[in-house]
Amino acid sequence: MKPAYFEFQNAVKLLCGQNALERIPDELRHLKAERPLLLTDALLLRLGIVSVVQDTMASEGCAPAAVYTDIPVDSSLAAVNRIAAVYRESECDSVVAVGGGSVIDSAKGARLVLSQESDDILSIGGFENLHCGRHIPFIVVPTTAGTGSECTGVAVIRNEQQGVKMEFLSPFVEPDVAVLDARMTLRLPARATASTGIDALCHAIEAATCLQSNPLSSAYCSAAIRLIRANIIEAVQHGTNADARLSMAIAATMAGIAFSNSMVGAVHAIGHALGGVCHVAHAEAMGILLPHVMRYNLPAAAEGYARLLPEMIGWEEAAATPLAERGKAMVQAVEDLLVRLHAKAGIPLRLSEVGVNEQQISRIAETALNDGALIVNPRPMSTQQVADLLRGAF
Amino acid sequence: MKRRLQAVLIAAALRLVHAALVELQRLDPEVAEELRRLPVGLSYAIHTGHRGPSLIVRWDGKKLLRVSDTSHLVKNTLRFKALAIAFRLFTGQIGLAHAYAQHAFTLSGDIADVMRLARLVNRAEVYLFPFIVTRRILPEQPGPAVSPLRVYARIFYGFFKSAY
Repeated sequence: MKPAYFEFQNAVKLLCGQNALERIPDELRHLKAERPLLLTDALLLRLGIVSVVQDTMASEGCAPAAVYTDIPVDSSLAAVNRIAAVYRESECDSVVAVGGGSVIDSAKGARLVLSQESDDILSIGGFENLHCGRHIPFIVVPTTAGTGSECTGVAVIRNEQQGVKMEFLSPFVEPDVAVLDARMTLRLPARATASTGIDALCHAIEAATCLQSNPLSSAYCSAAIRLIRANIIEAVQHGTNADARLSMAIAATMAGIAFSNSMVGAVHAIGHALGGVCHVAHAEAMGILLPHVMRYNLPAAAEGYARLLPEMIGWEEAAATPLAERGKAMVQAVEDLLVRLHAKAGIPLRLSEVGVNEQQISRIAETALNDGALIVNPRPMSTQQVADLLRGAF
Repeated sequence: MKRRLQAVLIAAALRLVHAALVELQRLDPEVAEELRRLPVGLSYAIHTGHRGPSLIVRWDGKKLLRVSDTSHLVKNTLRFKALAIAFRLFTGQIGLAHAYAQHAFTLSGDIADVMRLARLVNRAEVYLFPFIVTRRILPEQPGPAVSPLRVYARIFYGFFKSAY
């Protein structure tokens, strides 16, 4: 069913596949950029992932004007403002972000600060409120296949003082170019491969079933789920399979495009609160919460889940499932996948496995209730219902 | 003419929502608790379309005050992109969640603050709209704590005494 009104935007150019990294210098030239600020984190630098990007850029005569690596997990408002200051001090003219969600979202935040000619990201909070501002050429190279942040109009940044994750939504947050190259994820450990893959699955399921879903984003969701189903186990078991890695990267990008245009839901609202209050890694929070939220949403979202079932288990098996059972079967299929990934890669299935204690539940629930993602969840939630759900996930 | 009528109705609806929240602070425990948790000094401006009606409110720690002076710094500004879209919300054709999903408004400020306001407005709508409307736009919202007629009576008395 199509909504009464919807919007859809994706202006990101995608470079995907063989030698994608080598094309970055040419893209920078097209964007009239010569002095990129390279943003990444210390771990990726140590693992040599960043040097792969730097070497390929150097081979085409391009070197960053500055490299910044001091980006915390989940990012931070202070880090975003610091990055903007480094950009100005180093007289950079563009940003190249190499990393996972924290690095990419920090880069998005800093680019927003720079393009709006501000000094503080908090002064430009909100959604859809910003004018285009100054154009800062921006290229993103994701090193995980999950966040989809390379193609979204949202930056999620942790407010350390308040212990919450804040969302900054604007079409001007979208990068100019996203680079999907299997070399970036070949060495990703099995557990991170599994949990980030589930993050992408969660994006696709929530984007397809939330109040803001629309026919275009739903098409991306279906395709993303199909790719994840076909490749996630292979990518976890045989990490060096470049084809499976690239397929997962494409799936994550498609799911990102989908949720950028239709938002997410309660899994993300509660997941952000878990990250803000207890520092639970975003992707792992998604895996733990997804089946619990799907079960809660079933009364309002069974039809939406049923539509996704063929992508999740295949058309023949879905067709053999009675129509009235397909919503429930989708939840079961997600649970089955999570259990398999738990066995193969050790992803956590319970909150107790990731250091959350029961005394924190009320604070997590209250924080989740103020998260913007909750407003489009297919079924409303009260503080008590969030708390009950969290207890169920313990 | 149609736009002018819409503007008049929206202006009345904005005043009504504010008045309802002032009264519900005493009558509805959920509203009272939500307001109690608001940071003192928190302010919201709601603007509707090009030169459409506006409402600016500020929580002073005891009461949600309607502020006519727009020169002070408002922390959160919601701006409906068009009067016709705001009209659909304030006449109960769509709920706030659907208005958000339809990109009906922009926000300058903190999304968490808007979630607080959304819960307050949703709660006020339970009293201001007939059940047949709220059942559609606010599924699973708990029923009124007191009779909506009593709330309306207090609001009209409040308007009579210029209490808002």
